[in-house]
Amino acid sequence: MRSRTERLELIWHERPGLLGWLTTVDHKRIGLLYFFTTLVFFGAGGVEALLIRTQLAGPNGTVLSPEAFDQVMTMHGVTMIFLFIIPMTTGAFGNYLLPLMIGARDMAFPRLNALSYWLFLGSGVFLYAGLLMRKGPDCGWFCYTPLNTKEYDPGLNADFYALGLIFNSMSTTAGALNFIVTIFKLRAPGMSFNRMPLFVFAMLAVSFSLIFALPPLTTDLVFLELQRKVGFHFFDVVHGGDALLWQHLFWLFGHPEVYIIILPAMGIATSIIPTFAKRKMVAFPLVALAELLVAFIGFGVWGHHMFATGLSIGTLVFFAAASMMVVIPSTIQIYAWLFTVNLGRPEFRAPLLFIGGFIALFVIGGLSGIMFAAIPFDQATTDTYFVVAHFHFIIFGAAVFPILGGMYYWFPKVTGHMYHERSAQASFWVTFVGTLLTFFPMHIVGLLGMTRRVYTYHAGFGWDAYNLSETIGAFILAAGLLMIFANLLWSRFRGPPSGPDPFFGGTLEWTTASPPPPYNFPVIPTVTSPYPNWDRAQGELVLDLDHGHETPATTVRDGHLDEILKMPSESGWPIVLALAVTVLFIMLLTAHFVVAGIFAGVAGCVLVAWHVHEPAEA
Amino acid sequence: MSSVPYTQRVAKPNGWWGMVVFVATEATLFGTLIGSYYDLRFKTPRWPPTGVPDPKLAMPLILLGVLVSTSVPVQLASVFARAGRTGATQLSLLVALVVQSGYLAMQIHLYVDDLHRFSPQQSAYASIYFTLVGAHHAHVLVGVLLEAWLLLRLFGGNTAYRAVGVQGAAFYWHAVNALAVAVTLVQLSPSL
Repeated sequence: MRSRTERLELIWHERPGLLGWLTTVDHKRIGLLYFFTTLVFFGAGGVEALLIRTQLAGPNGTVLSPEAFDQVMTMHGVTMIFLFIIPMTTGAFGNYLLPLMIGARDMAFPRLNALSYWLFLGSGVFLYAGLLMRKGPDCGWFCYTPLNTKEYDPGLNADFYALGLIFNSMSTTAGALNFIVTIFKLRAPGMSFNRMPLFVFAMLAVSFSLIFALPPLTTDLVFLELQRKVGFHFFDVVHGGDALLWQHLFWLFGHPEVYIIILPAMGIATSIIPTFAKRKMVAFPLVALAELLVAFIGFGVWGHHMFATGLSIGTLVFFAAASMMVVIPSTIQIYAWLFTVNLGRPEFRAPLLFIGGFIALFVIGGLSGIMFAAIPFDQATTDTYFVVAHFHFIIFGAAVFPILGGMYYWFPKVTGHMYHERSAQASFWVTFVGTLLTFFPMHIVGLLGMTRRVYTYHAGFGWDAYNLSETIGAFILAAGLLMIFANLLWSRFRGPPSGPDPFFGGTLEWTTASPPPPYNFPVIPTVTSPYPNWDRAQGELVLDLDHGHETPATTVRDGHLDEILKMPSESGWPIVLALAVTVLFIMLLTAHFVVAGIFAGVAGCVLVAWHVHEPAEA
Repeated sequence: MSSVPYTQRVAKPNGWWGMVVFVATEATLFGTLIGSYYDLRFKTPRWPPTGVPDPKLAMPLILLGVLVSTSVPVQLASVFARAGRTGATQLSLLVALVVQSGYLAMQIHLYVDDLHRFSPQQSAYASIYFTLVGAHHAHVLVGVLLEAWLLLRLFGGNTAYRAVGVQGAAFYWHAVNALAVAVTLVQLSPSL
């Protein structure tokens, strides 16, 4: 008779080697695929940032031609948003951690999960193929019309942008759908909504935002492609179109997008703070509500990106008021974090340092952000470096710092090794100083009148010293990031074993081995509070499910055990489908519409083949 | 042996939830299309512009009524599938499928007819008209393919997995029909 873990190992193990990675449906392996792929894109986006900063280090820079600058600058934005932060927070952190935090053995739709990774990879390669062919997107990440029309952008540049982002949205939508159903249905018995970890609340808010925010972007991009490729009229005024329609649809996506970027970071902060403050989050229900509220309000504020476009005064005032409302849920969270640290016994190890840095940078970026809700101020600073300063404090300071802290925090869980604490703390300070030095002078240079997206500038405006300090800061920042990755790489091989729970965290991922086995938990946990690992409560039911590829499903609100699901095993169809879709988009790009139609048919056939093998339960 | 008694499921199955979220994102897509229609409309003095005929009312409204009525057989199929009545499920699906395919064929005929009378490359009105209506037809086509696939699978017998599939497809069709009402009313709005 085999032991329970041996039996589970046999049931859940996947093929070894490369083929195993190509056909995997294990959420942890998919999470790792996402992690390493997004790191590569982060590297590319970082090199682009350094190129931009080198070009702008002094007046009349000649490192990049104007055309090259446009493409590098656009791809920097597109990469960091669509190919780094979103797939890193949802794809890597969400995929790896969410099932562990809710006590499940996999995501609700494991093969769909694999598909969203392969589609993401396809869309990233598609976008970068454009840049490598020197036809990369060149109209800025929001690619305003008429700059994006055939007249002003005759090459394939804007087509790579539009098709690449539609492609990318398919992957993100599939991922968001999977998270919502997983959170609704696969929580461990006893985990009612009020016992869900705050990270899971944040992921739920992000997923709902994505489900409702991506369609406006898709519509916008489809309009653009129909106009560019087939000669429809949506944005050209001569034929009855409306140039502002592009901006409305874009920002109806674009502003929720900002909260999509920041919310997982808040979720990571609410995971790290209680562990190192050694107490539960202060105002737990308020923080959970605030996370959902941030996502909700995000849909009512898009007009504040358009204060300088001549909308009516009534419209402007509505959006100004709505934008000020965002302060309320944000401040609730900031005070909750600060009081949790203050009322606990904080231990300032590297992950908590990064969260401290996050709070400081988020407050600075938030204060400059709320200034834009004042219409006259916004109109004066629109399209200057002041805006660039603001959103880098939010997107780099507030969104990426928790990601970096989270890498240290969950590193022992994923690898089973401890990172090097001293050099981790040093890497925080280097990164923090680099961030301030890079982005703070942008406020000043913006107020002095430097506009964003210029490829060079003349001497004598009083901008030179600030720009030089930004460039020096950018290289310090890059050094800080390299220290982090060097630390993690070294620790992966040389770090001391960490054991399952080195920090005594409160949530379920710390109750299983490091790294977690393919089946996550030998026995499905029973949950009695949001911090089950601190309860050590033994539930009355023992749910080992060691006779099949199974995970329990519970009721949506109360988390009562409802049924046992048979989960699908590894499958090659997701990657095949993603390949077919990639070819489909290449054909659309090159205007071979008939061949594109054929590949849509191929994709349909693959879907049929996919569903021929049915798991026993849906 | 797991020591937990497995009884009848209380919550909706995962597949149904997946379909609900998918429909939510699709409905948002149609929402933005309709929003764009009205954005363009209120920027244009004459809608439809000179030289483009007003949409005809009778045929699209009749077709809409026919399409919406298919919610009944589709819902019946869902109920029969859960009750394990495979033959009745297939029959309901077939009835729905025939009516919906007829609807789609007739609509494609009208669409091509419209294309002969005015071109989407002519004006913003024509562009959004053909995009909106075309998106709706694509929506119907996906529903038809989904149903045909389930109908064929049911020849291999009913399983819990397929019953959930029928339940999801039924929800999808109710959403298609609700959106059909919205799209048709917007499409016909210049003549209403």
